Amino acid sequence: MTQVMKGVRVLEVAQFTYVPAAGAILADWGADVIKIEHPVRGDTQRGFLNMGGVTLDPLRHTLFEHPNRGKRSVGIDLSTPEGQEVLYELAKTADVFLTNYLPQVRQKNRFDVEHIRAVNPDIIYARGSALGDKGPERLVGGFDGTCFWSRSGVAYAMTPEALPGPLMQGIPAFGDSIGGMFIAGGISGALLHRERTGEATEVDVSLLSAAWWASGALISQVMETDIQTRNPMPTSGGSLRNPFMGNFRTSDGGTINLCMVSPTGLIRDTFEHVGVPEAADDPRFKDVLSLIENAGAASDILVKAFAQKPFAYWRAHLKTMKGQWAPVQSFSDLLTDEQALANDMIIEVEGGDGSGKPLRLVRGPVQFDGKPLETTRAPQASEHTETVLMEMGIEWDKIEQWKASGAIA
Amino acid sequence: MKPGTKLKSAACDTEVMVIRCGDGSIECGGAAMGEAKPEAVGTPSADFAAGTLMGKRYVDAAGTFELLCVKPGKGSLSVDGVALQVKDAKPLPASD
Repeated sequence: MTQVMKGVRVLEVAQFTYVPAAGAILADWGADVIKIEHPVRGDTQRGFLNMGGVTLDPLRHTLFEHPNRGKRSVGIDLSTPEGQEVLYELAKTADVFLTNYLPQVRQKNRFDVEHIRAVNPDIIYARGSALGDKGPERLVGGFDGTCFWSRSGVAYAMTPEALPGPLMQGIPAFGDSIGGMFIAGGISGALLHRERTGEATEVDVSLLSAAWWASGALISQVMETDIQTRNPMPTSGGSLRNPFMGNFRTSDGGTINLCMVSPTGLIRDTFEHVGVPEAADDPRFKDVLSLIENAGAASDILVKAFAQKPFAYWRAHLKTMKGQWAPVQSFSDLLTDEQALANDMIIEVEGGDGSGKPLRLVRGPVQFDGKPLETTRAPQASEHTETVLMEMGIEWDKIEQWKASGAIA
Repeated sequence: MKPGTKLKSAACDTEVMVIRCGDGSIECGGAAMGEAKPEAVGTPSADFAAGTLMGKRYVDAAGTFELLCVKPGKGSLSVDGVALQVKDAKPLPASD
């Protein structure tokens, strides 16, 4: 893939997924991303033992690899003055400082914006937070499960009223991965602005703001109408007013989603594809307004038709249908989806276990020049400390001195 | 031995960067490592054949030696016949 960020250096002082995911996107795009980790503990993300009931292999740790591929790791104890000195040396060489540490920690360990700008006034300072850099709770941390999913109103809106409680986020790092891309987009804008004007900006994205934006169409509607809508209970059938909108159950319990918001020119083709061509000649469905008028009758026909054949049949057969539709796939189904694979969505890196069996990860959503992404596995904790420091021209005696004091590892 | 020196295995593909060292012979696959690669590379002895992993650091119990693996191989590292251990990060435990 064209490395649009080649020559940009990002200094990442961050843990878990959300902000590291921004670093991963920038690394995918060609930036030199240096991840600072605690010299003994490393990123706490490395400590995840289980995810969704599955035990993680520390040497093939997908939850660590996803937001950290393509980076280098330098071990620095930022609570020590010597460690801060090393960080400042690195900050002098960086274009972007990326962090999700809380404001009070940034102050205590002296890597808040004023400390970093004191050594490099041109650096873009990017903060990823839980709830935003302003307001009474700016000192409070959080995860995507708390801020992006629960507090934001997303869980509430996603969950049908009839269920006994709100759905959980269900996908690890879902809000983090979305939010991380938002940060990377913001940093790209900041880099362009600096290129044009010479001005370095501060960039803020919170997990809550990511959810505001992702839900913005509905939040705006609520603000405008004061009507709060929620997901309906799962059913087989079209919506109240548009029979070509909805989920339809197949004979083996699979689901096909139709989403023809604007059915003009699609009525005959749709009925023919689902095996009921005679419905296309029914005067009740002769045009879109009639179809809307008789939505219930059309829905009943479709429900019956979809229940005649299994999921695999529909998944293949509907490929020639003109209207918008989708098979409701599992991630396992996705891995056999020819179209998804044709767009280079899966990348391969070396496993950290030396087995030679490649580790498969997912590329970021943006592709440049239609070329697949090539990258490297996530670093081991502190893997590149000496390499990076020597590259910067720091003498071995100095490195040894820092090592002896515990400032680096 | 100067820190920063790169050593090559005489028994496999392993290469390490010496980060910290004292007196003693640094070995891989049971054979002494050197700055030059020997023309004929042997095989690791059975006791030192657990392999090295790229990017891992290997240390002795006293903390005198620290080697950073910059190229992995089939042999494992030792100093004067005593096996080195992986210096792993000790992350705080977490779970969903």
